[in-house]
Amino acid sequence: MKLEDIARELGLTEFTPEVTGNAEAEIERGYASDLLSDVLAHAPQGGVLVTLQVHLNVIAVASHAEMAAVIFAGGRRPEDDVCAKAIAEGVSLYVSPADTFDVVGRLYAMGVKGNHA
Amino acid sequence: MNVCAADLHVHTALSPCAENDMTPPAIVERALAEGLGMIAICDHNSTLNTAAVQEAAGARLCVIAGMEITTVEECHVVALFPDAEAARAAGVEVGATLGQVDDGYEAFFGEQRVLDADGSERARETLALATATPLDVDAAVRLVHDHGGLAVAAHIDRRSFGVIGQLGLFPAGAGFDAVELSRHVAPGSPDEAEFAVHGLPIVHSSDAHYQSDIGAARTCVHCERPTFAELALALAGAGGRSVGDA
Repeated sequence: MKLEDIARELGLTEFTPEVTGNAEAEIERGYASDLLSDVLAHAPQGGVLVTLQVHLNVIAVASHAEMAAVIFAGGRRPEDDVCAKAIAEGVSLYVSPADTFDVVGRLYAMGVKGNHA
Repeated sequence: MNVCAADLHVHTALSPCAENDMTPPAIVERALAEGLGMIAICDHNSTLNTAAVQEAAGARLCVIAGMEITTVEECHVVALFPDAEAARAAGVEVGATLGQVDDGYEAFFGEQRVLDADGSERARETLALATATPLDVDAAVRLVHDHGGLAVAAHIDRRSFGVIGQLGLFPAGAGFDAVELSRHVAPGSPDEAEFAVHGLPIVHSSDAHYQSDIGAARTCVHCERPTFAELALALAGAGGRSVGDA
């Protein structure tokens, strides 16, 4: 499923329109965690991260794992410095008002799977 | 220069997770028996018992008034303040961000005993100290510095509640004054060297929740005398002061 289709169907608010090139990316894998050490160890390459964690380090971790996008759940909005870092690293940031469980459930129903599916 | 053995992370019975026998006199006696010259009282999100431990110690032991702040990312930040008044003011600021305990809190998390210097219970704290504050790591460090204190990244070797476990990488821009390693990392070991990469002084502290923990991990402060000002110089590596393993 293309990232832009996911964003539209989930009603996500994009915070990094400056990042181009991810919209057409095919998202097949996802990961959900708020512990960034855990994300670092397990996040799937090219996938999407669903998290509550809005600390700046989320971008470093997502970038290291070569993730295409981060969806902040529960309406948590990233600060400007986080968005700027994401733009520099080419990571797309979205915010959903829904909680993590609902975001992940809907992603799964759209065909985005975890590491063990 | 003198060498002072310091355990800069000790809880009292105010912390819901600490034993009820962690009273001011008991902590002081144990610290002296362990040969410590300096301890820091760091309860979760509160400084209410720091003055009582200072009073119990008198001139026998340097007691730094501190606090262990839980950030919104669930990172623990050890704050060390220059005096009881600075600690009190910082404690009020942190406490204002916390909610009240509810009916089941004490049974689940434990009692929060506000104690006098003689160890008698003065009150029960009704703020929910076991919860996270809305402060992020940067804001917590800023708050500590605003009150003239030193900010130490607590037990960064631990998977839970350490900044690296929670944030994946050490937050280099947060402005920490030191990093703390738990008793699980032996001083001088290769594991310790791993944490030296952040360019910050390393302290070893017990994070004592039980009397028997006090002094289980310790830092040698090379200084003229055991005071907050001398500790600050030692952490900064200034004036010939330093912190080290021996």
